[in-house]
Amino acid sequence: MLVFALRRLLSTLPTLLIVTLVVFAMVNLLPGDPARLLLGEEATPEALAELRRSLGLDRPLPEQYLRWLMDVIQLDFGTSVKDNTTVTSLVAEKLPTTMQLAGFSMLIALVIAIPAGILGALRRGTWVDQVLTLMALSGISLPNFFLGILLIYVFSIRLAWIPASGYVSFFEDPGKNLLLLLLPAVTLGVHSAAVLARYLRGSLIETLFQDYVRTAHAKGVSGPRVTFKHALRNALIPVVTAFGLQLGGLLGGAVITEQIFSVPGFGRLLVDAVFTRDLPVIQGVVLVSAIAVFIVSFLVDMMYAALDPRIRYQ
Amino acid sequence: MMLRQIAVMTLGLLGTAAAQTVTVGLDADPPRLDPTLSTAFVDRQVLNQIFDKLVDLDQNLKIVPALAKSWKITNGGLTYTFTLRDGVKFHDGTPLNAAAVKYSLERHMTLENSGRKNELKAVKEIKVVNPTTVQITLKQPFAPLLGVLSDRAGMIVSPTAAQKAGENFQNAPVGSGAFEFASRKRQDNITLTANASYWDGKPKIDKLVYRPFPEGDVRLANLLSGAVQVITPIDPKDISRMDKNDKFNVMNYSGLSYYGIWFNVTRAPFNSKAARQAVAATIDREAVAKVVFHNTVEPANGPFAPGTPAAAKNARIPKPNLPLAKQKLGGKPLTFTLLTAPGTVPTQLAQLYQAMFAQAGITAKIEQVEFGTLLDRADKRDYDALVLGWSGRPDPDGNIYDFFTTGAPNNQAGYSNKTVDQLLNKARTQTSMSSRVATYNVALGKINEEVPYVYVYHQNNVVGTAKGLTGLKPIPDGILRFKDVDLK
Repeated sequence: MLVFALRRLLSTLPTLLIVTLVVFAMVNLLPGDPARLLLGEEATPEALAELRRSLGLDRPLPEQYLRWLMDVIQLDFGTSVKDNTTVTSLVAEKLPTTMQLAGFSMLIALVIAIPAGILGALRRGTWVDQVLTLMALSGISLPNFFLGILLIYVFSIRLAWIPASGYVSFFEDPGKNLLLLLLPAVTLGVHSAAVLARYLRGSLIETLFQDYVRTAHAKGVSGPRVTFKHALRNALIPVVTAFGLQLGGLLGGAVITEQIFSVPGFGRLLVDAVFTRDLPVIQGVVLVSAIAVFIVSFLVDMMYAALDPRIRYQ
Repeated sequence: MMLRQIAVMTLGLLGTAAAQTVTVGLDADPPRLDPTLSTAFVDRQVLNQIFDKLVDLDQNLKIVPALAKSWKITNGGLTYTFTLRDGVKFHDGTPLNAAAVKYSLERHMTLENSGRKNELKAVKEIKVVNPTTVQITLKQPFAPLLGVLSDRAGMIVSPTAAQKAGENFQNAPVGSGAFEFASRKRQDNITLTANASYWDGKPKIDKLVYRPFPEGDVRLANLLSGAVQVITPIDPKDISRMDKNDKFNVMNYSGLSYYGIWFNVTRAPFNSKAARQAVAATIDREAVAKVVFHNTVEPANGPFAPGTPAAAKNARIPKPNLPLAKQKLGGKPLTFTLLTAPGTVPTQLAQLYQAMFAQAGITAKIEQVEFGTLLDRADKRDYDALVLGWSGRPDPDGNIYDFFTTGAPNNQAGYSNKTVDQLLNKARTQTSMSSRVATYNVALGKINEEVPYVYVYHQNNVVGTAKGLTGLKPIPDGILRFKDVDLK
């Protein structure tokens, strides 16, 4: 298991290097001049030249990349052009919020998806399954921004139960923190729940037709025991992958949802940085998101290996 | 000792019990809370509460005393002598005196990446005469100086705090204003607390919180749900709905801005004056105001918004004139690309313009690029026509000089005309507003005849407030001042 983990970790290094190159190239190939955007409509040519020089934008691109990469290796992601805060501290400020939101959303997703998926598989073809399928399809196709605004309209404006936006940290006021994150977490969770429920249903149906399940039944093991003990464990393997993908996506910042509910997380940081062409922040956030996805997919692989020992010997 | 502690604690508790907080929804997270480095309009909303300025503006854009009780202009407009208020202190306890004013102005003029350098270019020297008197000497007469000092360039920072914080001052700004900076969480909130020992009396509210909501719908939803008490701006499409809702007030008052279309006069097709005149003649300003802005803008024919000192009182707003447009084209086809920023309003606007041009047989292709790219291409004169406006300045000079003089930083058209240069330079040195206005009118006549830019509309300031909120004054610069605001 340890060898498998190490091998898996080492194989990500070249990929990470490529990611840094892509992130750097992407950000620098964007049209527009960060200095111009920062100084806005008030810029004078002298001020522009001065800012470009102080940002190092007048250096050749390979040199800019190497400098940046050397700093990144030392975990220095640079300083925000906009307000002179280090990118590391910005990430440290925003990442916990996004992680909490992602965790909360995935929890909601699981609470909905697991019973729905199992029920759908066991009652496949019946009206229960059809209703669940319809709900899952709506969950997948409903855009986040629409669901978010709908929730704000119902729960904040009409019923006035939950504030429309805002954020307090969990340690400051746990109750308020959860209340404020509820609507964005539901917005994100519903979508993930729908995806996961579909995966679980499909995978469970497939497993229920496997020989070993039939054998178990033949040996006289009770129905629920077969389903939950034997079939579900195996059926969860592809679901874990889907879960990892969903979680990885959320850690990269749920851009639209964070924007609608004014959650000060990764997504908003990124949007703001893109609008102000704050290159160090864009690069830092994208890179940290990529690393988060790597970590999640690494953990997923580990779980895979734990669930199915065949995988780690391949 | 014990008793005193209890008394203080009780007072503290009473204070929190009645603490009044006003939360303001802005359309962007203010990037830089340092008056020297700030380059975004939205910064000024917050900076204005934290920092006092030498002078301020009233509702009629008259320059009124602020930190400077009075001032004298002598030596043919070259020397400005300001008498400062006595006994004013910064939030950190540093006394606000002539030395602090000198420090601040010199910081604006010299700090690397200062956004104020251009505004204070005319300043030659700043002298401390005595602790309450400061003297500014200019290189040449510069009538807009007081207007400039009523904005960020006139904001006075605490020298001790600025020296101590260095580059980090924007994250811990210290001024002498009615509110003190308390904390900020990026993309979430900026919190200010009332300055209990403010020279002009303690503010009525205790806490002022700014929150950014880039989405207009989200901003409005937060006002409707009671999470915020003030929002600025309101999207044009929501104004009539807000007007009908009796839980809220809409303040709709003139601003300083203007919007329109630049023509790149340095290349075809708009190096031809006739082509520019033809396009300009197709524009129906009334229709723009009605269709896109639900009448929250004023049709324009110049850079000076109605109600401002230089506004042409009896300016005629041109009506669309399709026969004239066709005549100017002389039967030749005209095709060009109209460059604009993305967003609902710019898109609607561009499409409406496109339809208006088409009525005279002019074909415009719309190209949308993000704002930074738009500015960049404008600088490089890599465009045919460009939708771009200006947020406006209180002094007329700030709305015209940098746009039409040869080689000026905001002269996106690449326009150059010796007579216009001379007139705009002359207006700067004239001391009476009426003679300046006369000069501007002559220059503007020339500009409107040669149309490097078509003025289309002036945008109003539109602010939504909860019913119980009182004391906001409609000052045309669009900056909300919260010192006298109360919330019932």
